[in-house]
Amino acid sequence: MILFGVNLLSSTFPLISYVPLTRECLSIHIGQAGIQIGDACWELYCLEHGIQPDGGVLDSKKDQLENANVEHMDASFDTFFCETRAGKYVPRALFMDLEPTVVDGIRTGKYRSLFHPEQLVSGKEDAANNYARGHYSVGSEIIDLVLERIRKLAKQCSGLQGFLIFRSFGGGTGSGFTSLLMEQLSIEYSRKTKLEFSVYPAPRISTAVVEPYNSILTTHSTIEHSDCSFMVDNEAIFDICHRKLGVERPSYASINRLIGQAVSSITASLRFKGPLNVDLIEFQTNLVPYPRIHFPMTTFAPIISADKAYHEELSVSDITAACFEFSNQLVKCDPRLGKYMACCLLYRGDVVPKDVNAAIAAMKSRNSVRFVDWCPTGFKVGINNQPPVAMPGGDLAKVQRAVCMLSNTTAIVEAWARLDHKFDLMYAKRAFLHWYIREGMEEGEFSEAREDLAALEKDYEEVGQSF
Amino acid sequence: RKLRCGTERAGGRGLDHPGYPGAGFWLGVEWDNPERGKHDGSHEGTVYFKCRHPTGGSFIRPNKVNFGVDFLTALKNRYVLEDGPEEDGKEQIVTIGNRTVQTVGFDSVIKRQSQLNKLEDISLRNCAVNGAGDKGGIARACPHIRKVDLSRNLLSSWDDVIDIADQLKDLEVLNLSENKLEFPSCSTSLIGTFSALKVLVLNRTGITWAEVLRCAPGWPVLEELYLGSNNICISERPVDVLQTVKLLDLSSNQLIDENQLFLIAYLPRLEQLILSNIGISSIHFPDAGIGCKTSLFPSLQYLVVNDNQISQWSFINELDKLQSLDTLSCVRNPLTAGSKDSQTTRQFIIARIGQLKTLDRCQILPEERRGAELDYRKAFGNEWKKAGGHQNPDKNRPNEEFLAAHPRYQFLCQKYGAPEDGELKTQQPFILKNQLLTLKIRYPDQLDQKVLEKQLPDSMTIQKVKGLLSRLLKVPVSQLLLSYESPKMPGREIELENDQQSLQFYSVENGDSLLVRW
Repeated sequence: MILFGVNLLSSTFPLISYVPLTRECLSIHIGQAGIQIGDACWELYCLEHGIQPDGGVLDSKKDQLENANVEHMDASFDTFFCETRAGKYVPRALFMDLEPTVVDGIRTGKYRSLFHPEQLVSGKEDAANNYARGHYSVGSEIIDLVLERIRKLAKQCSGLQGFLIFRSFGGGTGSGFTSLLMEQLSIEYSRKTKLEFSVYPAPRISTAVVEPYNSILTTHSTIEHSDCSFMVDNEAIFDICHRKLGVERPSYASINRLIGQAVSSITASLRFKGPLNVDLIEFQTNLVPYPRIHFPMTTFAPIISADKAYHEELSVSDITAACFEFSNQLVKCDPRLGKYMACCLLYRGDVVPKDVNAAIAAMKSRNSVRFVDWCPTGFKVGINNQPPVAMPGGDLAKVQRAVCMLSNTTAIVEAWARLDHKFDLMYAKRAFLHWYIREGMEEGEFSEAREDLAALEKDYEEVGQSF
Repeated sequence: RKLRCGTERAGGRGLDHPGYPGAGFWLGVEWDNPERGKHDGSHEGTVYFKCRHPTGGSFIRPNKVNFGVDFLTALKNRYVLEDGPEEDGKEQIVTIGNRTVQTVGFDSVIKRQSQLNKLEDISLRNCAVNGAGDKGGIARACPHIRKVDLSRNLLSSWDDVIDIADQLKDLEVLNLSENKLEFPSCSTSLIGTFSALKVLVLNRTGITWAEVLRCAPGWPVLEELYLGSNNICISERPVDVLQTVKLLDLSSNQLIDENQLFLIAYLPRLEQLILSNIGISSIHFPDAGIGCKTSLFPSLQYLVVNDNQISQWSFINELDKLQSLDTLSCVRNPLTAGSKDSQTTRQFIIARIGQLKTLDRCQILPEERRGAELDYRKAFGNEWKKAGGHQNPDKNRPNEEFLAAHPRYQFLCQKYGAPEDGELKTQQPFILKNQLLTLKIRYPDQLDQKVLEKQLPDSMTIQKVKGLLSRLLKVPVSQLLLSYESPKMPGREIELENDQQSLQFYSVENGDSLLVRW
């Protein structure tokens, strides 16, 4: 059995006088949404790094790797993968769910040899779309096991930066267990960053009636433990797949692949050596003006159907302009109704600084881009030359360049307002509440959570106000 | 020579002519965009040069044109920052709205990209590249380039392309779209120039099929060929060329018709064929009868026929004859447009093409296929019976017309069994009209009373029926005795004794007679 290995850099190349400091990131995938997005992400990472389904590296990539080690100080590859003694690469990831079916999908799927069995944790009884079960009854039984596994993964890291947590707001495990886990992580790893990738409940496509309850409860309990939470919503992505990619009825596979591309763009600077030496702290510092205002909106461009490969040529200017289009957003809200507090443009692929400057100069005249008065710096722009990779057989065409924009805009309060409204409708009648009370929750927690979200809405309103 | 004037590109034609009014040196040009010019090369009767289009030509002053730069210069312009210390003392400050933009790490990017010999994947789109420049220059500076986008430049002939490609031994992907190139008039034998080329994009280059075949011997390992928007007419069969091609994109070539497709039907490795927007409406594989597989397009797995004129189901039926087809995209055709019945249309396509695994980028799961095939079988059951179909295999002889229109129908009957009559009864919509029973009301003890006919809902209780009759006959309810008889059961009379029950309870049906006695 492959055991967790040790970073072999220092012993393989004794000529280097110092050990490069790797800043590792642990990805934790919780619940069905988290796991399935994780599946898409790691598949994409493997394609980008040339890692085979069994953990081995493609030959041409190995040369690249060796050159990288000799030449350059930052071994960024190691931030996401751990090299074993046998020369295989194991992802620094943990997949957990309260019921076994989804995790079994990974255990029997294409990448089953990539992960160590201890990285795939499953319980027996699921959370049944119930925050209380995920947090209190069923979740509490498995939390110790999960923390122990995380400890093991953290031990192999020489300089753990932080955690990337993938989960949904609406599910039972994704909402309940995540808040439980985040509380514990804050205690045990207090100085480590925690970034979230959360699936927000779609406005019009609902998979469970109690999604608003779960979402509000988890946001309330997680908000002080999370440093930054990138939200995506299924409906926005559904529309993108349908309109731009010509997919008649987008499946979760299509949606997850698109999310995977966005996540890959966001983490590219962490995984590839490059000029944009961003670590997780930098994201925080640049995007989050107040601890509670940490929900940036993600936009991704270009989105071209694989059938139209080479028919549309998108220059840097085109993709930059596309970032400000409603249709490229991964969350449904109207940024024209709000103000920007911070904005990051992450380019990847064949992008030259000249083109970026020209593209941004062309954006100057856009008066729809309004900033808050109190924030002096506006945009932060970076380039990573690693080209975007398209999944073979996927819906997206291979492109030479792509951009991911992370913007902290006050317009996202619209998403919270929607959710709060739905919560209120049900809570006014105390509908479905008994499912939560039965698992040991109190009504007080609901009203407390709702008040917290009302305060969050007010906070957004306040930061958007002029002096 | 190609040149650029403003943002438009053109081919420079004849040069100066002293007779042209307005002293000095004028350049005659033929624009790439045929509507950009003022005339066809002639002015006030004198023909200075010839154009393909009546408004394709112009005369312009040479100082307004840009003849472009060579490859290496364009490469350096894009990727290397020529920054002398005297040029810009300050870093250029860019703003959006009223905020400054902070760029991160651009210096390192610039430094890295300046190392031209490390570049592998570059784009020189719209950089006014007119040729290779000095011989060997590219090979010395950046020999490791594997992917080049040279679209929208000023390359004028295939020879220019070869000059560049000769020096890039590792070239795998080459995009030459939107360059109006002149191709050689006879087959060229090149050794080694495109030895590694896998993907070639020639959209909007004006290339003809004959020219493709002439240049094709130079592409020994080509896997993907994109020839969109070229007004191509496939004129001959590729012999010994293009045999390695796996993907062929012929979209937006409106002159292609179904007969021309036979000429490319024997490419052995062709797996993906893109025929979007070519105006095709029908297809027929003559070598295969109903239910048989054709030998044409033996490896074709993925067919794209979006944005065409397909309106007949016979097109879909023919696609079932392809041996390897498992993925189809067929959106925005008259057959499939119109969202009212889109679910049914999708089902019918699935049912008609047996080995289809993905339709319109959605995977077809086994349950969906099962449902689609069952529904299709039910939907055409009545037609099948009318055409001579029968549940009894000995009597089952549907006519030729039906078999041609529904080639898989017999197979589906074998797979799921022939449709039962009960399945085929068309469902009556649930409106009140359909729930009414037409009943005759007779009075066996009073022979002089007329027989009435009334329509009553089958949910009406006996008590209410009695009430109705009481008002009609002016007889008190308590004295009425009701029973009914049915033509299906002659001679039998069934008593309707329980007032609380409905007509339906007693199985009173349409056409029965109510017998009233008092």
